[in-house]
Amino acid sequence: MKLRGAVVVGCAGVWAALGGSLAVAHHAVTAKFDDANRLELRGIVTNVDWRNPHVHVFTNVTRENGAIENWAVELESTVLLKRSGWQHDTLRPGDAIDVSGPAARDGSRQVWGESVIESATQRQVYNVNDTGPSRPQSPRPTPRAANGKPLLGFEDGAGGYWAYPSSTVLMQAGANVQMNGDGILARLADAPRVAPFQPWALGVYRHRQERHLADDPGFLNCKAPGAVRQFQTPYGVQFVEDPARQRIFVLVGGGNRNYHIIYMDGRDQQGQVQGDDDNPLYYGRAVAHWEGDTLVVATTGFNEDFWFTNGGLPHTDQLSLVERFSRPDYDTLRYEVTVTDPGAYTQPWSSSWELRWVGGEDLPVYFCQDNRS
Amino acid sequence: MMNKLITTAAALLLFGLLGVVSAQEGHPLKGSWLGEWAGNSVHGDNILLILDWDGKAITGMINPGTDNIPLGKASLEPEGWVVKLEAEGKDKDGSAVRYVIEGKLENLELPNRSINGTWSSNKGRGTFTASRQ
Repeated sequence: MKLRGAVVVGCAGVWAALGGSLAVAHHAVTAKFDDANRLELRGIVTNVDWRNPHVHVFTNVTRENGAIENWAVELESTVLLKRSGWQHDTLRPGDAIDVSGPAARDGSRQVWGESVIESATQRQVYNVNDTGPSRPQSPRPTPRAANGKPLLGFEDGAGGYWAYPSSTVLMQAGANVQMNGDGILARLADAPRVAPFQPWALGVYRHRQERHLADDPGFLNCKAPGAVRQFQTPYGVQFVEDPARQRIFVLVGGGNRNYHIIYMDGRDQQGQVQGDDDNPLYYGRAVAHWEGDTLVVATTGFNEDFWFTNGGLPHTDQLSLVERFSRPDYDTLRYEVTVTDPGAYTQPWSSSWELRWVGGEDLPVYFCQDNRS
Repeated sequence: MMNKLITTAAALLLFGLLGVVSAQEGHPLKGSWLGEWAGNSVHGDNILLILDWDGKAITGMINPGTDNIPLGKASLEPEGWVVKLEAEGKDKDGSAVRYVIEGKLENLELPNRSINGTWSSNKGRGTFTASRQ
């Protein structure tokens, strides 16, 4: 089959168009791929590597001089592709495809599959169109536990978790700074408006932005999406409430798929002897109480080994959070957070967003460690 | 000479036990640093630095356990990532040795980032290099 050679198309104005698809990636796509260096490829599929964190379609591309090059077309995770109706055999070896998207920054033969079209049918495949569960026409009432408080988790036997956050980036309330779904600023000059940084913290934030978040330990080392970040990941969180033991277990669907405990037994905000008393944690130590229908969670004791937000906002071990969770209706979780970290910020600051209920399911099976040596 | 040997042995023991460089995504100077202030005839060529950040000031100690030289003034200027450390130790006769270390923080994104520059004192001067452990 005659194939078109790889064509490089410069295009500087695609940042905004990419934003939507980037929001659901495990890592910042622009950390690896250059929006300003776009490729169009036509090739023959040689293999589909259907694994997390990213699916790869390997494709033989024939250059104009007849040489054949094998390219890797990187796509979203299996979870997101399956949600959009695609399977591992949607494409098979031998299929001809046309691909366009940003090229790898390191010059290797990799391209982000922003558009993958089956040449024979002109059908677009492996695109992610995951808009989440549809909302009921009228709000359903908030489910409540035996004590009358809102359930943050699922009712007995039903299953369900929270995902599809209305914002995947963190900035102080009222900042209104333009950034994409991964937290990459549209204009680096806006960095000081994102949060009330100390000078060093602003410098670190700018440095991470300038490097397109390529050093994100959540991606490089599968570090936990601790603190705020767990509530802005594409794979959601699940609350498992255990009133008998006065604990809420928060299961994290992305990253390295771990959990933390919110203690409801009135204990002091202190570490557990021979546990975390001298060992700061990715998720800190969380204690909570109810204020009306709002669960108020106070957390301290974070370590400094992870990024606590998408977009690379720095923090120190002086970080403390006050999170307020409320469920105004069955399908909505309201999340409000006040960030206090005198090691990195000049004053406390706040933000809020909502998550949507995914009923009848448990968290998707996703491990960032997959497909790593 | 003995100081130098002890410092080197302590460094090898400490960082040998630690094994790999620990992650550090907070203040970029915080942590343990191992390096060399070349030509330092008073405290030896090898240097250990323990640095911390309390939210307002950089604190720390040079060669803890051997020379125990506390840091005085210390600063990190994000514009250019310029590091300046001042400390006052003593020589074997008990005379004050006032150190100034000036350098640039490099490879900020890496756990084993480094400081490269110069050191000077009333007893000498030379190149300075240290990397975070």
